[in-house]
Amino acid sequence: MAEDEVKQELIVSKQVISVPQRFATGPVMGYFLQELRDNARIMANRCPECGRHQVPPREVCAVCRLEADQWDEVGPEGVIRHYDIVYYASPDPLTGETREVPYVLAWIKLDGTSGDAYFWHMLKENDPSKIRKGLRVRAVFNENRVGAPSDIRHFEIIEAQESGGEQ
Amino acid sequence: MNKKKNRNVAIIGSGQTKLSSHREDVNQPEMIHEAVAEALEDAGMTIDDIDCVVHGNMELFEMVHQPDMWHVIGDGAYGKAGLRLTTGGTTGATLVCAADNLVASGLHDVVMAVGFEKLQEGHTTGGITNMADPLWGRSLQTGALTGTTAYDVMEEFGAQRAKRASMKYRVIMDKHAMLNHKAHRRFGLSDDQIDAMAENSPPLVGELRMIHMCSQSDGACAMIFASEDKVEELSANPAWVVDHETVHREETLAFFEGAYRGTKSTHRVAAERLFARNGITDPRNQIDVFEMYDPSSWWGLDWMREFLLLEGDEHLKMVENDDIAIDGAFPINPSGGVIASNPIGATAMIRVAEAAMQVRGTAGAHQVKKDVNLALASGFGGTFWTVLILLSKELPQ
Repeated sequence: MAEDEVKQELIVSKQVISVPQRFATGPVMGYFLQELRDNARIMANRCPECGRHQVPPREVCAVCRLEADQWDEVGPEGVIRHYDIVYYASPDPLTGETREVPYVLAWIKLDGTSGDAYFWHMLKENDPSKIRKGLRVRAVFNENRVGAPSDIRHFEIIEAQESGGEQ
Repeated sequence: MNKKKNRNVAIIGSGQTKLSSHREDVNQPEMIHEAVAEALEDAGMTIDDIDCVVHGNMELFEMVHQPDMWHVIGDGAYGKAGLRLTTGGTTGATLVCAADNLVASGLHDVVMAVGFEKLQEGHTTGGITNMADPLWGRSLQTGALTGTTAYDVMEEFGAQRAKRASMKYRVIMDKHAMLNHKAHRRFGLSDDQIDAMAENSPPLVGELRMIHMCSQSDGACAMIFASEDKVEELSANPAWVVDHETVHREETLAFFEGAYRGTKSTHRVAAERLFARNGITDPRNQIDVFEMYDPSSWWGLDWMREFLLLEGDEHLKMVENDDIAIDGAFPINPSGGVIASNPIGATAMIRVAEAAMQVRGTAGAHQVKKDVNLALASGFGGTFWTVLILLSKELPQ
């Protein structure tokens, strides 16, 4: 193409997809969500063979591949085993809204669980420098619950605890 | 676990587009066509020689479902046998496994695999977040971003040593990318910037900073696989596919990676199985080059220990001593790796294509200095889905 010719405009087609979705939760996850909604209780299911908990529950024990059909109430307190302080503002796929940052995600070993069940949720703490592994936290439930992960508004650090070590 | 092949298979050609942040000059089939044309030229053949086209990407990103239908015009699959695959970030490596399986089984003699992504046309982190279990993880996940590995490595080896090693890894990858004209991000970083970048690069999650993380790229890769008979007829310079191993775990043990250290990683399991089957007892000495799917320089650093079955701080020393540099004892990612270029559906395939280029001696400015007889490539995706692929210059036994 000679330089004095006008370059072709390359048109970009801009589109937005918005899809209402409804996911069946099934009897296992459904029971967990129902207990969360109706009684503000966190239920873990337990493997009849090895005794490890899964929370949120999954239908079979991932290790023994047996139906994990026994239920125990766990939490609502626990210990931080791992955490992420997120500074990157990404969209919440449920709403399309950009999440406010920083926010903190935590993997929490809930009281009463056995095995490697780390419960994944948000941790509310205005001073992220206070967060460390081993701190005790508790779940804060919403007043109006709908049977969703957001029924737990977040976890919060339990103040006045001893300078907790690991576990 | 025996995995006997019915017949040997070789890679006889590959092509890649220029990998970049924007390819608004071409649409999807046009971009794919660039990689396909280069692969055919590399193999010295035409589309008429291809029996079957295997196609893949992550539909979540561009939100085009069954894009292989649109892409027929660019990949030449019209009227041919075909297969479409998607396994998250691992897609490109799974495409290689599928192409190898299709030829090894005897179903097809010559198969072309095509992986692509145009991340510019969608939302990468939103797309990855939508991979999570919609009943729980979707409301919590932040794409593939996590700082947990950084915390773990800092806890194990001390913050200062860990931060320096991961940033040194990053600088080595950039030095490699500078040698690869197709790489997307080529910054010209040097060792004297390590300490400053470790403190000043904008944080994404914890100590995972912008400079550590892989790019979001547009690009495509195509590779051509042929049976042993066809290789004799068509190619004087094949890279043989010795073996491959896939291990995946998803959400069954832990959401994303909270309990990663409580269980053996899929990377280590895949390496143990692949090496045991192929007589590899000393991977660092028996394997000549490794193209690793390294989504960030924290993961790249940490995963070396898993893939190479190392203990203690051997992996840190390999970085600190420049062993992984292109002219080092065990070069990793002479292409610049995933941190430099990441068109996700093509990314894992590019690892294998680059490993094959090293075996075939066609990598040009980023060809490693030593002879390459055995090369390893990895793919990674989902919540710990690993593919490991072993290539050789010699015809496998």
